[in-house]
Amino acid sequence: MTTIAIDPVSRVAGPLALQAEVDASGNFSDATTSASIFRGYEVLLRERDVRDAIFISSRACGICGATHSITSALALEMMFGIRPPQFGITMRNLLTTLDNMIDHPLHLFTRAGLDYSEPVVRATNPELWTAAEATAAPGVDIHGLKTIGAIMTHMTRYTGDLYREALAMSRTACEAFVIIGGKYPHPQTIVPGGISSTVDASDLSLTLLRVVKFLDYSRRTAAIWDDLVDFMFEANAGYRSVGAAPANFLDLGLGDDPEAYDGTYERAASWGERRWATPGAVLNGRLQTTSVVDIDIGVEEFVDSSFYDDWTGQSQPLLTTDPLGNAVSARHPWNKQTLPKPANADLRGKHSWSTAPRWRNNAMETGAAARLWITAVANTMPHRGFAEPTGSGIRFGFPQSALPQGEIEWRVPEQWGALERNRARAYALAQSTLIAYENVLVGFDLARIGGPEAGIFTHYKIPSDHVIGVGYGGGPRGYVSHHVEVDSKVIRNYQIVSPSTFIAGSRAAGSPGPLEAAIMATPSLATAGHDRHIDLMRTIRSYDLCMSCSSH
Amino acid sequence: MAIDFRGQSAPASEEGMMHVFWLSGMSCDGCSVAMLGASNPSIEDLVLDRVPDLPLVVMHHPMIAEESGAELMAQYSAAGQNQLGAPYILVVEGSIPDDQALSSGAFASMGAGSSAARGRGRATDWIVALAPNAAATIAIGTCATWGGIPAAAGNITRSMSLMDFLGGGYRSSRGLPVVNVPGCAPQGDNFMETLANIMRGLTGNRDMPQFDELGRPAWLFDQTVHVHCPKAGYYEEGIFAEEPGDNECLVEIGCWGPVVQCNIVERGAVNHLGGCMVAGGACIGCTMPGFPDKYSPFYKAPPGSAISGGLTKVTGSAIRRMRLMSMKMANREPIWERAGDGTTAWGRAAGLDSPLERINGKFYKKLQYKGSVNQASRNKLQPQPQSMDILRQKGVDVEASTDVLQEHVITREEL
Repeated sequence: MTTIAIDPVSRVAGPLALQAEVDASGNFSDATTSASIFRGYEVLLRERDVRDAIFISSRACGICGATHSITSALALEMMFGIRPPQFGITMRNLLTTLDNMIDHPLHLFTRAGLDYSEPVVRATNPELWTAAEATAAPGVDIHGLKTIGAIMTHMTRYTGDLYREALAMSRTACEAFVIIGGKYPHPQTIVPGGISSTVDASDLSLTLLRVVKFLDYSRRTAAIWDDLVDFMFEANAGYRSVGAAPANFLDLGLGDDPEAYDGTYERAASWGERRWATPGAVLNGRLQTTSVVDIDIGVEEFVDSSFYDDWTGQSQPLLTTDPLGNAVSARHPWNKQTLPKPANADLRGKHSWSTAPRWRNNAMETGAAARLWITAVANTMPHRGFAEPTGSGIRFGFPQSALPQGEIEWRVPEQWGALERNRARAYALAQSTLIAYENVLVGFDLARIGGPEAGIFTHYKIPSDHVIGVGYGGGPRGYVSHHVEVDSKVIRNYQIVSPSTFIAGSRAAGSPGPLEAAIMATPSLATAGHDRHIDLMRTIRSYDLCMSCSSH
Repeated sequence: MAIDFRGQSAPASEEGMMHVFWLSGMSCDGCSVAMLGASNPSIEDLVLDRVPDLPLVVMHHPMIAEESGAELMAQYSAAGQNQLGAPYILVVEGSIPDDQALSSGAFASMGAGSSAARGRGRATDWIVALAPNAAATIAIGTCATWGGIPAAAGNITRSMSLMDFLGGGYRSSRGLPVVNVPGCAPQGDNFMETLANIMRGLTGNRDMPQFDELGRPAWLFDQTVHVHCPKAGYYEEGIFAEEPGDNECLVEIGCWGPVVQCNIVERGAVNHLGGCMVAGGACIGCTMPGFPDKYSPFYKAPPGSAISGGLTKVTGSAIRRMRLMSMKMANREPIWERAGDGTTAWGRAAGLDSPLERINGKFYKKLQYKGSVNQASRNKLQPQPQSMDILRQKGVDVEASTDVLQEHVITREEL
């Protein structure tokens, strides 16, 4: 047994530190993950004018700031008793899906993708590289690369075409975002009651022209990852165990139905189910609920391993039951108080700035893959113009662009792990692209029909009494919630739960967090260059963590 | 003088190389995202040595690096000890926490568990190690330049800017104080262009660029964002948005643009697209010292706008009336005036026959052409072309099919 300490783990957003024990055959035990950053957004947001909430909370995350700002706007709308006109909701859907489209290519080809690039594979598994060079790529007609070796070569950092194309496509999505969003990653246009953008015919057209470039790109990306993942499994079945994890998923969906969203907590389960991706909780592959309220109420945050004092017992809970009568735990974000206490890391005790959230006491995986899985198995997603859930997968239909009209299908895999997580992320790019495309089309329709629903903003009056509101959002990495308590127009408590908090959160009541568990399930399959722990890295990076967001 | 082909031949020599070390304090990674999204130059341009007058850049950035942990941090250590054999630029993103003053713990750290660790691996330890020998030190984003949100009221981290952390006496090994590229997040090209120009200055290929008294790139931040704002014309004419989504000047719904130094509406957010007010977002001063507290609460008109906005409402509305009159004249081709008919297939040109406007127009033209040649009166004498209205002359009937479009014409008055 030797102890390894990797600090920081590169190609993760924000600082992630890892310590683990590794035996002679490369199996890991006692893995401990830490978020090494704290800024104190929840502390800073207290005692501020409620009008500051959106633009300050957004800045907790520089990768999904757009999603945080929209999530914050949803929480404020619940408190103010308003909803945006349908066109405003549609434009926010567009922005939040573009936020996803900016990030997915970067994950697939500049962060996680590098671990499958030619130089890395040659250095760690020369036999795999030899096989890759000799294996024809089945998707060549879609992506144009003849062999798996060619795919790996083009995934090489800086010089690989796929690496550079990912940067370029991410910028294209970013262009589309700023046409209506104004600025990225922290848009200046999100307001309670809608957005403050002036959207005219050329704005929608310029956006559309950029979104349609992703129709081809996302299909090619899915084909590339299909070929790569299938090759790896064929070459060595052991790769199915890299990053293996139970199918425990949590997600709040993506994009609101403009005809259904009304900003109320009472009807949240119903408008939540009409989102473009279905919210839900899955335990061991079985769907538990699709109600955003059930999902939210089941969340509890633990600080056993975190640099915070436990607030339970120190303060009176805000809610013992929610407005619908559901019991609310003292560890739920409604009742949480953020009490930071910096200290030197103690791996047996407190060592991370991330809390450890659990859902009904289960460690849960969040992310774009979770969103795909839940939407597939729930099979209730109502917007079926371009995506058709089947109960065991999702079929995506593409209109003709540079590639002819066509269909691709993501299927729920039998075993869940790092490579399937990346494959799902590739299909999530197709999902986001088609949601964005459909929302541009809905936007054109609403603008043509005109009337009050073609507006972009609804007036509001800030209540001066004590009010609470929650926003449910979906970033590139999935689950984002903001719980807000306001009295006399001033924020009294602001609680953010983000997707990486779930995954990178460390032990709670002795049980490991999702990332820690997946590391300990990962074998070492490198045949050369063993010390670089490539399969460990593949496991960590498949989750695409954002440590700043996780600790906020 | 011989042409200098340096940099055009690969591989670059040692002296044609420059390292960039990226350090994150209390950041959201938004500055890194802005850097990756920049195109002028792009990161690929720099690391692939595509620009002849720039050195080959070796980028050390945790979000991009192939290596992790000790292997990655060993390069940072080598830089601080001047063992690279090439100069380096230090880039710092995020606010600087006051954790040097903590007896235990840290608010931002990396490399604590590695053999190359410095102190507790605090970001502040790495800054102390790397800043003195850096050829230049650049703070990217409002957190690192001024303190930003982590340094706002109510914070428990006592965080500050890089400039305040290093102190007023700090100079890089080449004599530069901290360069500040603010913005939350910064416009990506603002940073990359500054980095490129500093590298040109350091290699002697160009003069070092100009910086203002706060260390901002002077050519980027010398004007208020209002000066280049596409909505500034509305301000001049005294027309203001009443609610989000309105097209007019955003001052009354909380825009601080008239006093905020930023170039995002001129440059756009990405590739000349977007920019806060271009899209309809009010400026909340995110490039400025004191952000966010000095601009809070958001969505509320700045107090100064009551006076300046009130004045433009008086003067601007008079100017707007005069302009509307001139625009009526402007929207006419002389050929129509000679024919005495301003009707197009789309509608009737406004006000062609108003006697008041004819007198006014005459007076206006007199002033316009004073001391020059009166092209308007020359144009009056031009003969009309004979093939005008050719389809009617040839007896082609086109009137049956055109009326649908008439409903969609918007006149200037309606606008």
